[in-house]
Amino acid sequence: MHNPGYIIKKQICQYLAPRVRMIIQKLPYDLITKTEEIRLRHSRPLILYWAGGESYLGVTGPVSMAKEAYIVTGEDMENTLELISSYSLYAYEEEIRQGYLTIPGGHRVGLAGRAVVENGKIKILRDITSFNFRVARQIKGAGEKVLPFLYDRRVGRIYHTLIISPPQGGKTTLLRDLARLISEGVGILGKGGQKVGIVDERSEIAGCFQGVPQLDVGLRTDVLDACPKAEGMMLMLRSLSPQVIITDEIGRDDDARAIEDAVHAGVSVIASAHGSSMDEICQRPVLGMLLENNYFERLVFLSNSRGPGTLEMIVEGERGLPLYSARSGGE
Amino acid sequence: MYLKLSGAVLIILTAYLFGFNLSSAYRSRVRQLEEILMALEMYLTEINYGLTPLPQAFINIGKRIKVPTGCLFIDAARLMLQNKGLSASGCWESAVGKNTPALDLISDDLELVKRLGYIWGKSDKSGQIRQVSFIQELLRQALKEARKAQQTNDKIWKYLGLLGGMTLVIFLL
Repeated sequence: MHNPGYIIKKQICQYLAPRVRMIIQKLPYDLITKTEEIRLRHSRPLILYWAGGESYLGVTGPVSMAKEAYIVTGEDMENTLELISSYSLYAYEEEIRQGYLTIPGGHRVGLAGRAVVENGKIKILRDITSFNFRVARQIKGAGEKVLPFLYDRRVGRIYHTLIISPPQGGKTTLLRDLARLISEGVGILGKGGQKVGIVDERSEIAGCFQGVPQLDVGLRTDVLDACPKAEGMMLMLRSLSPQVIITDEIGRDDDARAIEDAVHAGVSVIASAHGSSMDEICQRPVLGMLLENNYFERLVFLSNSRGPGTLEMIVEGERGLPLYSARSGGE
Repeated sequence: MYLKLSGAVLIILTAYLFGFNLSSAYRSRVRQLEEILMALEMYLTEINYGLTPLPQAFINIGKRIKVPTGCLFIDAARLMLQNKGLSASGCWESAVGKNTPALDLISDDLELVKRLGYIWGKSDKSGQIRQVSFIQELLRQALKEARKAQQTNDKIWKYLGLLGGMTLVIFLL
């Protein structure tokens, strides 16, 4: 795995308009290694974000005042759009409608602009005014601490698990690493890995570019890219015989039904949801129902209190017993 | 005598070839316009059924169309794939600029060809189809005109060459 600075310079820079590209190329090493987002907004300053901070970027490097920063031009925006779509907007209609594109390396480019609506649905985004380059970083080993709590040694299966965290809390990173660990079959699993199916509706877990995972999700992993969760889970069950299904951001009615089906079919489900506390999750209609019926055997709470991906708590689903807590620091 | 005769034949032949050469520009203009129209048809197929990214679509088109018209597409695709961050219109414009000397298109035709640069890949599928069809329509009109020009000028230049050669021979005799 290359360091993030190298990734940004090698993989992301070629998708930026030349003038913005030059600014990023010249950034000091310590700044570029921690960068999480590069934001381009039409006629506004170029801004870099990292966990817990931001910086305006001027032509010569980071600056402290917005008025000294490089102002992104319309030409930069147009050029960047051409580059991320490899000069072919027509080939990415669906992605643009969804509001993001994935570029090689698994990085996601979020888009905002003027939506053209037809029959209440977004037909296409026009006049793109914002780009958010999100650096995909794979943290191998992020799941090693959690996995032993999710594995039932007696029967050799993974518990149905729900991972809960506020945005940017490291849910996707954890899901990706769990997929890799389970699929490759590390030490604690005792034997070879298990077959993992990832239903990756937002192309975030595996970061697929043209269907090929750009991030390491393991040898025994099948990825259904950009597929609606409920439909994808059913498809997985029918034809790919997974032992573990991994998906993110559940919350719709049909997601719940698909999870029920998977659980009844004897397939372990690992899913994630936005939230910060048990009470908050229980109030959400679909998640509340799933928890009430004890579908999830393990609940993992993450936060970004000490950087993204801080493991706060692991709770046993049915009785709510804590198995791990950051405060006590053990079982 | 033989020397004179062969000299006369040589002069007439040269003059004829000169006229033929001038008239051939009219023929190539027609052929090149036809090729561009064909390329646009291929482009529509590429994006409509294959959703092929633009650089790849250009390479596919360029390979199937004769030099120098095909070079427009190959050169533009090369520039796009260099990852220098050029815009599609910039790539197309420099490809057109580079190949203009080899093309027999008149300036009006070239204007139409350059306008394509502002269309390539810039819209969704239906937008592309609409915009490209519009340019196709304009190119068809140019083709019609080019054919007419070819018909009238083709013969004129050939005869003019032949007659010019003959006149020169008579003067020299």
